[in-house]
Amino acid sequence: MPKRAANPGVLTPEAARAFLWNILELVLCVALLALLAPAHLLAVKHPRYGGTLRIELHVPSISLDPREWKTGSIAAAENEQLAALVYDRLLTLDNYGRFQPALATEWSYDPTSKNWQFKLRPGVKFSDGSFLAPKDVAGALQPLLPDGLQISPTENGVQIHTTRPTSHLLEQLASGRFFVFRVQTDGTLIGTGPFLLAENSPAAPSEANPSASKLAHLKFRANEEAWAGRPFVDAVEVTLGQPALRQILNLQVGRAEIVDIPPDLVRKARQENLRIWSSPPDTLLALCFNETQPGTSDPRLREALDLSLDRDTMASVLLQRQALPAPALLPQWLSGYAFLFGTPMNLDRAKELRASLPANLAGVGEPLRLRVDAVGDLMKLLGERVAVNARQANIAIQLVPHSAPAAGSSTTTSPGPGLHLFAWHYDSFSPRAELQALARHLHTVSGSEAEAEAASDTDDPEKLYAEERRFLDERLVLPLVLLPEYVGIAPSVRNWTAGPSGEWHFADVWLESGEPAAPNTQPETGRSASTGVHP
Amino acid sequence: MNHAQSVSGIHLGHAWPLIVVLSSLLNAVQPILDRPLFRNLPLLTSLFLVFSPLQAHSLPPENTSLEDAVRQLAGRVAAIPNLHGPLRLQFFQDANFAADTGKEWQESFRQELELHRLTLSDEPGAIPLRVGLAETPTQLVLSASARVADKDEVRLITLPRITFRAPNLPVAPIRIERQLVYQSSERILDASSLWNDAEAGMALLAYRNDEPSAVRLDDSGEVKQTISLAAAGVPPSRDPRGELTVRANDAVVLLPGKSCEFNWTAATDVKCHSTKPDWRGTTVLTPSCDAGGWKLLADGSDWTSPDSLRVEPDGSLREGSAALRSDFPGPILGINGEQNPASALVVTRNLRTGNYEVYKITLACGD
Repeated sequence: MPKRAANPGVLTPEAARAFLWNILELVLCVALLALLAPAHLLAVKHPRYGGTLRIELHVPSISLDPREWKTGSIAAAENEQLAALVYDRLLTLDNYGRFQPALATEWSYDPTSKNWQFKLRPGVKFSDGSFLAPKDVAGALQPLLPDGLQISPTENGVQIHTTRPTSHLLEQLASGRFFVFRVQTDGTLIGTGPFLLAENSPAAPSEANPSASKLAHLKFRANEEAWAGRPFVDAVEVTLGQPALRQILNLQVGRAEIVDIPPDLVRKARQENLRIWSSPPDTLLALCFNETQPGTSDPRLREALDLSLDRDTMASVLLQRQALPAPALLPQWLSGYAFLFGTPMNLDRAKELRASLPANLAGVGEPLRLRVDAVGDLMKLLGERVAVNARQANIAIQLVPHSAPAAGSSTTTSPGPGLHLFAWHYDSFSPRAELQALARHLHTVSGSEAEAEAASDTDDPEKLYAEERRFLDERLVLPLVLLPEYVGIAPSVRNWTAGPSGEWHFADVWLESGEPAAPNTQPETGRSASTGVHP
Repeated sequence: MNHAQSVSGIHLGHAWPLIVVLSSLLNAVQPILDRPLFRNLPLLTSLFLVFSPLQAHSLPPENTSLEDAVRQLAGRVAAIPNLHGPLRLQFFQDANFAADTGKEWQESFRQELELHRLTLSDEPGAIPLRVGLAETPTQLVLSASARVADKDEVRLITLPRITFRAPNLPVAPIRIERQLVYQSSERILDASSLWNDAEAGMALLAYRNDEPSAVRLDDSGEVKQTISLAAAGVPPSRDPRGELTVRANDAVVLLPGKSCEFNWTAATDVKCHSTKPDWRGTTVLTPSCDAGGWKLLADGSDWTSPDSLRVEPDGSLREGSAALRSDFPGPILGINGEQNPASALVVTRNLRTGNYEVYKITLACGD
């Protein structure tokens, strides 16, 4: 107890020290209580700004130039995910089916759906501080738009003129490669998005160990001037070319927050209680006949192979239930009617058809050559499975390496492949546009003389269904399975959201620091009601 | 067109006649007058669309409610040539979507077919009619398929997804009376009662046209007044914060770094000044039977998860007493006490619909 001095108002040195100790104790207690107070005592929580989000992807390289992307390619899908960091589109589609303003704040069209006007958001700046102008938008989008669409700047926006009614233009502009950018004098691109590219280090031999290679690395910095607000994290670091098992390890030990996981490792990742998110099935694996090769034009051979394919087993056994059998070219989440097609397997009928084929036909006399167009062990395994299924219907299939000559090649004496196994990534919200793009791709692969322009531009869903039905009935293309995209997410990642087709929303993510890793055995899915929102 | 339901009524340009202008900036705001009335939101939504003078003129004919679409599909199925019963219905519905829609549409479809004198049967020999309801990024797709004379007859009806509204959540636990009083696709930051004995209604702090605005609503939910707070010059943010306090005609709005004051009767005179915001603390309600008070607390830490409102006894001595909990359909974004000391307004974002919703919470005593 401090002693009070005889003279009121004057403290002895001991009493003053004791008094100061009491004050110090009080301050420490208050500070300790503030530190220990549970966060839920706050009436409403708010996100945390700061930190670096570390992403590891297995692709060895990335292109951030939308003009270079090949529609439907797997590489384009990865490019698009990262391009969304630095570029914006005119509009977006939310998870509730509503178009939301982005660089355009209003849009309109005339009764013919041939003339569209977009009013641009005022005051938007590129990452170099210059203002976005209508001519920037027109210049960026013109090379990306399909044939027949002409874009031109107006006083406060852009207008798009189409030669045919294009009622699904908004779906197209809200997805895929339709980003707005400006080409700098040195050829580099800048955008208006939530981040800007700060570093881009390509893969190179390691200085410490020349036999090893240094992985490609990109660093994106938060754009403080972003029109939609600064992102929560300060930076996003992306490492490319990281092997899948290494990615999983790095996620587990806290060296990465986001990693992509191939379907064949998803089960392992789940067994290790990693937090897994999956997109809607956004990649189609399918077979396509090459009509330029002799024998493949016989519809009986194509039907026999189709009926021999056991898609359910491919999805459930080979891909360990991480894929879905593909009954159609467009997935159910995009068309809404894919379930009507079904995937009938009829081995007896397949054998009957095979027995009716002439002996000199490919697959009957000589093996039908199947080329796997996409790289990866999974594709090779799927190709082998196709060969096993076909053999059960007495159709001989021989896998040829990816380097085998393509259709029409005359540089070798060996016959080209009669069958291709290819991957197709859906990148449009418009089923019509997607079917048209797929038709063009198949036309190229199959060498078909038929008209490539499918899916006439109509609002009538039954016509779209009929187009797809016609494709499937021709059996020039045989859909096999649909694959979602799988992502491993660290427990510290908050507000992980994705768009309707699985586009990641990095700008809305924040990092919670100092939290213990909570195992999460329930996978998150891109189609669940709780994803894809940013209040 | 599948995106005309967000028609705002604003007209651009005028270069073309009958131009249809789309923007989600002014999406329709829907007042919730009474909970039971709004259990059938799809029907009410269609009525709203039909009677709204701003929107009806530009709605394309296919812009219908789910009930209308089911009726149309049944009519088109009944018109398939040579389709005679009995028919065996096989329904297909996406699992995620089923939780939102329920299965009432299946019964409606069945009844509509019967109205068209098509015989239905569960017998295996009956002709299968496959009927599906699916959700795509922009549309709801209703489909029906039957095999008639060795040919698949397929009928499809589509309608924009945003014409569909999920049914409300069930009523909250008995001690907490909860009522959904307002919903909107516009971002709502805070809600306040008017603290005016003479006037019912509510005021909102919301983002309209990309700028913070104070919106005064009457007791039917109709917008009576909108006051732009652009004068505050708040930079855009992914975590917009704001608080609205209304006392009769006077209102104070707190925004990050700014405080604005205005009077509803002199709306043009909005005065904003820089300040360090003194954000609202924990809201404490005092029901008539307990002067000790109860705190309203939000649990959530992520905007992708539904939140819970925890109602805990106030005061350290009473910590550990039984707490009440009310689950919300999304993250809780704001809590504000009302003039009635037992009530508060809670702002949330419904993760099923994407709409911002205002709930009135009242602590009821006893049973």
